[in-house]
Amino acid sequence: MGAATETFYSVIRRQGITRRSFHKFCSLTATSLGLGPLAASRIANALETKPRVPVIWMHGLECTCCSESFIRSAHPLVKDAVLSMISLDYDDTIMAAAGHQAEAILDETRAKYKGQYILAVEGNPPLNEGGMFCIDGGKPFVEKLKMMAEDASAIIAWGACASWGCVQAAKPNPTQATPIDKVITNKPIIKVPGCPPIAEVMTGVVTFITTFGRLPELDRQGRPKMFYSQRIHDKCYRRPHFDAGQFVEEWDDDAARKGYCLYKMGCKGPTTYNACSTVRWNGGVSFPIQSGHGCIGCSEDGFWDKGSFYDRLTTINQFGIEKNADQVGMVAAGAVGAAIAAHAAVTAVKRLASKRDDAEHRS
Amino acid sequence: MTRITIGPFNRVEGDLEVRLDVEGGRVMRAEVTAPLYRGFEQILEGRPVLDALVLAPRICGICSVSQSVSAATALRHAMAIEAAPNGLLATNIAHAAENAADHLTHFYIFFMPDFAREAYAPHAWHEAARERFAATRGSASRDALPARARLLETMGIIAGKWPHSLAFQPGGTTRAIDLGSRVRLLSIIAAFRSFLETIVFADTLENVLALTTADELDAWRDGRGGDFAHFLRIADSLSLTDLGRGTGLLMSYGAYEGVDGTLFPRGLFGPSAMIEPLPVKQISEDVSHAWMRDLSTDPAQSSTIPDPDKAEAYSWCKAPRLSGQPIEVGAIARQTVAGQPLITDLVTRNGTNVRSRVVARLIETARLALAMEQWTRALRLSEPFCNASREAPDGSHVGLVEAARGSLGHWMAVRNGKLERYQIIAPTTWNFSPRDSSDVGGPLEQALVGTDVGDAGPRSVAIQHIVRSFDPCMVCTAH
Repeated sequence: MGAATETFYSVIRRQGITRRSFHKFCSLTATSLGLGPLAASRIANALETKPRVPVIWMHGLECTCCSESFIRSAHPLVKDAVLSMISLDYDDTIMAAAGHQAEAILDETRAKYKGQYILAVEGNPPLNEGGMFCIDGGKPFVEKLKMMAEDASAIIAWGACASWGCVQAAKPNPTQATPIDKVITNKPIIKVPGCPPIAEVMTGVVTFITTFGRLPELDRQGRPKMFYSQRIHDKCYRRPHFDAGQFVEEWDDDAARKGYCLYKMGCKGPTTYNACSTVRWNGGVSFPIQSGHGCIGCSEDGFWDKGSFYDRLTTINQFGIEKNADQVGMVAAGAVGAAIAAHAAVTAVKRLASKRDDAEHRS
Repeated sequence: MTRITIGPFNRVEGDLEVRLDVEGGRVMRAEVTAPLYRGFEQILEGRPVLDALVLAPRICGICSVSQSVSAATALRHAMAIEAAPNGLLATNIAHAAENAADHLTHFYIFFMPDFAREAYAPHAWHEAARERFAATRGSASRDALPARARLLETMGIIAGKWPHSLAFQPGGTTRAIDLGSRVRLLSIIAAFRSFLETIVFADTLENVLALTTADELDAWRDGRGGDFAHFLRIADSLSLTDLGRGTGLLMSYGAYEGVDGTLFPRGLFGPSAMIEPLPVKQISEDVSHAWMRDLSTDPAQSSTIPDPDKAEAYSWCKAPRLSGQPIEVGAIARQTVAGQPLITDLVTRNGTNVRSRVVARLIETARLALAMEQWTRALRLSEPFCNASREAPDGSHVGLVEAARGSLGHWMAVRNGKLERYQIIAPTTWNFSPRDSSDVGGPLEQALVGTDVGDAGPRSVAIQHIVRSFDPCMVCTAH
């Protein structure tokens, strides 16, 4: 493990990465984070002078989809740069060490970088039966999580599991899987939801934190605004068909081949805040709606318990073809101009909707 | 006799713990624990049938297409519909891409880094192995990770996103592939083939698949570049053929369904060393050593309810058995049942072992690259990709597929349009099963017995090789 004064730049130079590639990385990073052209040199300067921030990546109750997404990032040079930048001082899935040796690295990093390291958490702790549904190194994961959180400077909650609970917390939540902010309440936590989150969003968040030494601006649910301030619907390439009232009625029907809107097939794009329709998936190739299937809203809290994934949303206003442009324009302006208010309203509507679901479940 | 505990394991998918009783440096008894349980089967019960398509893939972030296809297959039987031929082809392309990507992950990220360990420093090959395969720092990961990411762009084209894709439906796939997408698919598959032929094999796939015997493989290996030959030289220097011998019973549910049957057939490689029909009805699950309540042993009739206080239990994993026997599953089982000549020869001579399991995965990867190309060309772009779904009447159905790591089954019972029961038996549930009520251990437990760990105890690299040779997926195991 490197000394505390080691910089990111010295680490990647040791990996054999050229200075030219380093600068390319910095400018592409600035672009992908939506920062201005001057940011590239600021990033370069920070990476050359600031000590490398150690990252500890822990896995709780999970399916490893977040790691899987992360390692396929099309983010510039992720395979060299980001992996060496965060160095993954400790990561269950890909690290070299095993067993007690790995546990020792955990203790060592905690002591050596007390108050400096970032704790990245994939998955969440189950609290039923004293935590025995997720035993890691002979101890319940929740204990290890609390211990490592104690000396972390900040915590990244990867994915819907760590952020909200995700499908393993779906009714009846057999293991009492619990989002990490319910267990750790005294540290800044950045939530990067999605099942999994988009690779470029993950690497973007890590790059920002390690570069600037602080968390990016968060919304009131704790998500980075740069990636979660717009609904899938806002930038969906099928949006014109929604506005025109042209909908798919069955998988692969004529309307589907024409690329019509998937709202009637249960698409949750209108109530889901994520970057899928802009950043897209698997190297920017596509996203679920582009594959002809609706969005299931996997980055939203409680997406797993809102009735069937194939039920259509009944809580949004729909622009029928009979509406004139003025009426449509007014509604749209309202939505864009008050994105936060709209979000709050949508959230409130959803809360009401889930209450109704609860009532149905009980009856 | 001393008892040693090995865990947490790194470079396996999910959490794993192994306990060994060692006497005179030899393993006398092994217990394998799956320490992670989430309760997917409990969560699925009572939900609308189609929700299985969204929830089941989330069991696993690396085998999610296998879980999707298994759920979609069971639903297809439940709805009594046929899938559109194009839908089957598109599903196969995506499924093969996932399975091939998993084989690459296993080889480069999980398995080979063990040869970079300090314990092997005295060996002449160690320096080269360390330079090439060391975890996260070796040069191989710089070749393999981008190749793998490129291959998985296939998922973007067919399924929108991966892991946890949504495009796989009972009647086919939701995305109709157009001409442009077909061209992109072909170029991705061509790039994958080129990666295999230059980096992995250093030979054409046709030449690799023309090898039919162990002796031909040895002759081919000598003086060859590429990571496969590199592995073979290390494996032979360490006699990995003698390590982690399997019990001999191998099974495949049949993989990659097409209009004219499956690419790899269904069958059982039985005690007679012959391929026999697979008696699916003889599959049962024993919970005598699992923290699970004792309900029906028939997966079609059972539920999964934890019983964390059970005294005899040591794993969340149930013990699946075929006609009462533990069975090994995976690429080696699939290729043996399929009669692939080289793998059949290796298994006939020395059974399943650390070396032959790795060889089978790479041989299968070569076959998949060729099959993906054929499937992509066979798509008829103007014809449907998805047939309409129907209401599923009450009844019990099963979806049997092959994931990268072996046989995966979803047993579902439908009642009033809802999932009444849901049982999943995953590949590693078979391979890493605990003991059954006759005190017979699972395939890994049996493969570990007799291993010489010497003075290394919990640091024994041999144990790491054996465990990883099965390519465990622990999150699927107990789900």
